[in-house]
Formats: sequence, structure tokens, C-alpha cells
Amino acid sequence: EQRLASPPLSNDPTLKSTWTHRLWVAAGCTTLFVSLAKSVIGGFDSHLCLEPALAGYAGYILADLGSGVYHWAIDNYGDESTPVVGTQIEAFQGHHKWPWTITRRQFANNLHALAQVITFTVLPLDLAFNDPVFHGFVCTFAFCILFSQQFHAWAHGTKSKLPPLVVALQDMGLLVSRRQHAEHHRAPYNNNYCIVSGAWNNVLDESKVFEALEMVFYFQLGVRPRSWSEPNSDWIEETEISNNQA
Amino acid sequence: MAASSSSFTLCNHTTLRTLPLRKTLVTKTQFSVPTKSSESNFFGSTLTHSSYISPVSSSSLKGLIFAKVNKGQAAPDFTLKDQNGKPVSLKKYKGKPVVLYFYPADETPGCTKQACAFRDSYEKFKKAGAEVIGISGDDSASHKAFASKYKLPYTLLSDEGNKVRKDWGVPGDLFGALPGRQTYVLDKNGVVQLIYNNQFQPEKHIDETLKFLKAA
Repeated sequence: EQRLASPPLSNDPTLKSTWTHRLWVAAGCTTLFVSLAKSVIGGFDSHLCLEPALAGYAGYILADLGSGVYHWAIDNYGDESTPVVGTQIEAFQGHHKWPWTITRRQFANNLHALAQVITFTVLPLDLAFNDPVFHGFVCTFAFCILFSQQFHAWAHGTKSKLPPLVVALQDMGLLVSRRQHAEHHRAPYNNNYCIVSGAWNNVLDESKVFEALEMVFYFQLGVRPRSWSEPNSDWIEETEISNNQA
Repeated sequence: MAASSSSFTLCNHTTLRTLPLRKTLVTKTQFSVPTKSSESNFFGSTLTHSSYISPVSSSSLKGLIFAKVNKGQAAPDFTLKDQNGKPVSLKKYKGKPVVLYFYPADETPGCTKQACAFRDSYEKFKKAGAEVIGISGDDSASHKAFASKYKLPYTLLSDEGNKVRKDWGVPGDLFGALPGRQTYVLDKNGVVQLIYNNQFQPEKHIDETLKFLKAA
């Protein structure tokens, strides 16, 4: 709650990485690396090259969809008291009020929550499975999910301050673009939820998949998503408020 | 006949095709997802139905699709409360065309868009001599709040318990998970002249009905 009351200053300790954050990111990356190694080595051993690569491509494409569904869910349902993902929901709520904070958050600070999820999910998969095609999928999917918060942070960056390679990847549509994600932060706050490549954003928004799901949840469970309500002060970016008042 | 051109045409289509044999489904609550038993009924009825209808012409198929209130049929009368709690009967509007639109619920995004689009084109409907009436399962108080918030100039009727919706056979969407969005245009004699169904493009209801009224 305190985090929502006022924007963190740029030297705020909550934006800094701690050694625990770094350890979680390292652990997540290790599980990814093991998965990648199993895919590459297994692929060589069984003379498979195309299949693991295609599975990897599918992982990249589906990770964008996954990021969108997750982002839509926590933007619209639950609050900080929700079990397991409550902190994530609170963080995303705060992110709508102070979107630029993400650009001042240090790398491991920004990624550690997803790194924990990846560690707990990919580690058992690493231990249980050896199939190179399966790991081709797992390693790219999990890599894109783990780094989605970094891609997201880049989508909030300014062109002049971003590495040229990142700008090039954004312009090519391989990473979520700054323009597309800016739409997400404008009223009516109900579109462009995907934050890996953004490839699914148009598909999902034009086919109104989330709108249909929101309607089904409303009529079957009686739950209203947050995006249906008039944007309250928690959702309007603070700079917009001051602009409107000026 | 209703033009089902939403992005979920397949669902609409399946729902529509099962309507004539949906007795068991319809008597259940309109908006519940089919249970296992009704699902087997669902697929079963589709099969029997298609083998039965295959030799008949498409015009008799149209008749079969809308088992309750069909095009060319006199709309059954009903009396419901409006947003001020006053009872309103459909027959009161005889003598002028009526655009009667069934929508899922007040204060949901699609319905707000649809209601505001009817409001914005209200003058055009008046020019065509037509009356616009919205109808949903919300109570009068909800309709009153909805109408005053968006300054809706037309009548909203409160179909609590969705009785009229069921009587008219408005098909649900996404296998019954959503109350359908369907508009009926009645002529001045109260005969149904157009049925238009489209859940996810709510503004199209205005375009289609206006186009129809202008052509009529």
C-alpha cells in the first residue's frame, strides 16, 4: 500500500537489486541453460536439428501469448491480498500510475520475481525430461517469460537511451514496440497486454478475446474486471493528472 | 433472417442450429454453460437435426432456426417496467416501427457502446418514425442509473428473470455462457421484419437497423 501512495524516487532502495534478486536471476538462468544444453546436445545425439529449432520458435511465439494472458489477468482481477500473485498485482497497479519507474528499476530487481517462477517450473522439467524437442520449446518459452520484464522495460525506454540493437529489434517487431506498449497505458487500458514480441496484440485485440473472457467471467461468476470501471486515480498516470489540471 | 456476422460465427451457428431441439437446454437457465448431460444432448441434437434438415430448402431452414419469434411473425406482446418503474406494453407502440434490442447487461463495455450508438443516432431513428427500446435482465434502478449516466433518450425495459428473452428465443453466445445481443425490427403492425444478432460488434446493430428502416 505504501508503494502505491507515492512514486518511488530514482534512488529509492526498492528499485535497487539485492544479492537475493541476483541469486534468483542466476538460478533462473541456470535452469534455462540446462534446458538449452539438453536441447542442443540431445539434438546432436539424435541428429535432430529442425524439430528443436521449430519447437524453440513456437516457444518464442507462445511466450508472447502467455505474457499477454497473465498481464491481462493481473491487470483486471484480484488485489494485493490475492494469494501467490498479490505482490505482482500490486506492482502492476503501481506500474499503471508510475509507468516510468520500470526504467529506473535495476535489472535483477525487475526480473527476480519471474526468475523465481522459472526456477521452480523449469528445474523439475530439467530433471524429469531429456527430449531435445521438448527442451527446445521449454528453453525459449521460459527465456522469453523470464526476460519479458526486461523487454517490457525497454518498451518504456526512449529511443535515444536504448541500445541500438534493442531499437532495431523493436522496429523489426521481434520485441514489443514502444508505440504498441504506449497504447496499453492509454485509456481505455484494455488492449496490447503482450510484452514479449507483441505479435499477439493485434490478433487478441481485434478478435476481442479478452472482452469475451471478461463477459463470460462477469455472467458466470459475477466478477467485473478492473478495465470496465472508469479509470480511477490509481490507473491514470500521474503526469496526465498534472497535465489535465494545468 | 438474422445475419450472424460476429467473429464467433461458428458458435452462433451451432447455437442457432440446435435451437429447435433445445427444449431441454432452454428450460435450464439461459446463461449457464452446458453441463455434461446437456452437452451430449447438444451434439446429439445437432446430428439428428442436420440429417433431418438436409433435404429441405433453405427457406424452411430459416423457419426452423428461430423457433420462438421469427421474421414475418407478429411479435408476442409483453409488459415490463421501464427505467422509471412504469409498466410498458409492446402493443402501445403499434402504428410505428419499433427497434427492440436485447442486450446482455447495463454497464458492460459492449452494451455501453451499443446504447451510446443508439443515442447518437436517435434523431435518425426518430426521422424514420421508429421507436428504440432496449431490453435486458437488469432492474429498473440499474436502467435508471445507466440511462442517466449516458443520457439515453429512449426506453429501457427491465426483463427480470429474462422471461421475455427466453420467450422470444434470443440465442446465447459462446455455448450459452453469454446472453445474446439480438435486435428485432417490428413494422407498424408489430410484425417482425428483421432479426440481427451480433455480440461483439455492438455498433453494427445501429447501422443494420437504420439501413433496414431507410430501405423499408
